[in-house]
Amino acid sequence: MTELIRLTGITKVLKGQKEPRTILDGVDLTVRAGESVAIVGRSGSGKSTLLSVLGLFDRPDSGTYLLDDRDISRLPERHAAKLRSSHFGFVFQRFFLLKHLTAAQNVAMALINGQGWQPRRERRARVMRALEQVGIEHLAKNRPTKMSGGEQQRVAIARALVRDPRILLADEPTGALDTETGSIVIDALQEATTRGCALILVTHDRDHAARMGRIHDLQAGVLSERAPALSLSGPTAQLPHVGGPAA
Amino acid sequence: MMRLSGRLRSAMIIGGQGIRARKLRTLLSMVSLFLGVLAVVVVQAGAGIAERLQLADLELQAGKDGTKALYLPPVAGAGQAVADVVAGRSDAVAMFSTNATIGEPGVRPVNEGGSPFDENWGGSSQICDNSGKCYDPNAGKPQGQAIELRITALTGDVRDFRPYRPRSGQWLDFGTTPLLAPRLVLNEEAAKGFERYHVPAEMRVNGVTAGLTPQIIGVVKDGNSQPQAYVRLDELTNWIPLSKLTDPNGGFSDTQLLMAGSTPVEQVVIAKLKGLGATDVSVETINSRKEMEDELNLLRLIFLAMAGLVLVIGAAGVLNVGLATVGERVEEFALRRAVGTPRAVLAGIVLAETLLTGLFTAAAAIGVSVAALKAATIFLGPSQPFLQGVEFPWSAGVSGVIAGLVAGVLGGFVPAIRAAGIPIATVMRA
Repeated sequence: MTELIRLTGITKVLKGQKEPRTILDGVDLTVRAGESVAIVGRSGSGKSTLLSVLGLFDRPDSGTYLLDDRDISRLPERHAAKLRSSHFGFVFQRFFLLKHLTAAQNVAMALINGQGWQPRRERRARVMRALEQVGIEHLAKNRPTKMSGGEQQRVAIARALVRDPRILLADEPTGALDTETGSIVIDALQEATTRGCALILVTHDRDHAARMGRIHDLQAGVLSERAPALSLSGPTAQLPHVGGPAA
Repeated sequence: MMRLSGRLRSAMIIGGQGIRARKLRTLLSMVSLFLGVLAVVVVQAGAGIAERLQLADLELQAGKDGTKALYLPPVAGAGQAVADVVAGRSDAVAMFSTNATIGEPGVRPVNEGGSPFDENWGGSSQICDNSGKCYDPNAGKPQGQAIELRITALTGDVRDFRPYRPRSGQWLDFGTTPLLAPRLVLNEEAAKGFERYHVPAEMRVNGVTAGLTPQIIGVVKDGNSQPQAYVRLDELTNWIPLSKLTDPNGGFSDTQLLMAGSTPVEQVVIAKLKGLGATDVSVETINSRKEMEDELNLLRLIFLAMAGLVLVIGAAGVLNVGLATVGERVEEFALRRAVGTPRAVLAGIVLAETLLTGLFTAAAAIGVSVAALKAATIFLGPSQPFLQGVEFPWSAGVSGVIAGLVAGVLGGFVPAIRAAGIPIATVMRA
């Protein structure tokens, strides 16, 4: 598989306090196209910060971030915005759907972002395709307030997928959902990897983490690979416990 | 170009969605802005209408800017001297004015003193002789069917200097042989009098016993509220000697010479008048339009400053609402940045919303102003002649749109900067 992302020695220090605090301490990570990677760890271990760096929300203090062998560690904001639009899709724990827009309009939001322009017909087709990918095309005209949590998160996933991203970053996407709904959401995310999209999932849920190809544990800013991937069909009893004691 | 277009379109679409999502808030912003924009539109419209009315009539009465005017001093032979100099010239026209009455002889005119027909000046004009003794030329006469008006005899076409506007019929033709029946062109007030009162076609000029039969050939707008008639000098002097027409004791005669800026007539006339004994001969260059424009502009600026103040207060309202709205939409803007929306587009979204609000407000203010002016012309027009035919000046509409856009920028600039500066990490920490 093609190497998409290579982080080498990424460090991020939180300043502005009495004592500067190291959030990421020499993180190394490689992600290939179509690969799914889970990042687990305790609260405050730096998972979200790592995702911020990966998603170009934030810059590392040191280290290199290669995307397609291109160093983007110090990318200016306008170029970062362009890359976020063309390469990344984001799914958050809170769905961040705009209540005044329909599901289709929420998905189209990622297309109407000032990065190029698509005619309305083409935009609509892409939105419907994204909604179909997560199985909620029948809810296109519904507003978020009329949807369940799982449906809302799938709209958020459709929004992340609508630009055919190469990397999908998901920050606790099932955190606000029950187990069954969470599983459906993970299915929808994993479906994207079959089309060559890399998935990086930050989660506390060991079951969901176990469904990823690789699991990395982030402890006090240090990232380490935990265990080889297990088959989805394998017994969950054999899954390793990650990110703390088993529930 | 494509990128700019995409950004612009994105900002407009998202801005439109934001307005639709917050209709009440947009409406309240519009309310706070409305008075300011309305004030700008009204001031501009009022100034435009006043300027058009004032300046239009001003040129008719005072003459075009750059025209030179010379009032003849009361010296014997001055009128004839001027008439001789300007005869056949187009760069200078002499105007000999006096009072005349058309209608029944031996009666008091319906508008004694040549007053407008809807006004009463309270009696006839007094005429004073050489000894300083004044008398009422209509004393003891009964009221009758006669109209008193000011008659101006012209040596040439005066419209090069005073652009009288034709209303009906034709203007005096100075290229034909003079007729024995003097051809008259009336102003609108005189025409109103002849429509209202049916009087015999017999004209008498002050100080002349002979009655002559005039023929009315046209009506012009001359900006004068008094009844007035214009006649060729050579047709009038068939009946009245010029010396009588310019006799200061003959009753309110005056002579004015209008000249182009660069005519040699000025020097010749001045020399002749001085030769006749005139001591004080002065020529005035007409500059009234510019003076009036300066005065109107000053007034307009004063009122615009006040309107601008109201507009700034309205913009402060928009700013207040804008800041509150951005505060509420922190997550939305952070999310938009996360999906790749550049900071400039985020600022553009907020500006698009305030600019659209400003434009809607401008449209409302212009609509209200147009409707108010229309209503005023319909309901007050019949009693207020200055409102008749008045149209909403397009410059006021443009000013309203500009005021709306400026208020939109003033009210949206700071919120736009705030929106552009929202960190994306907001969505990660939420």
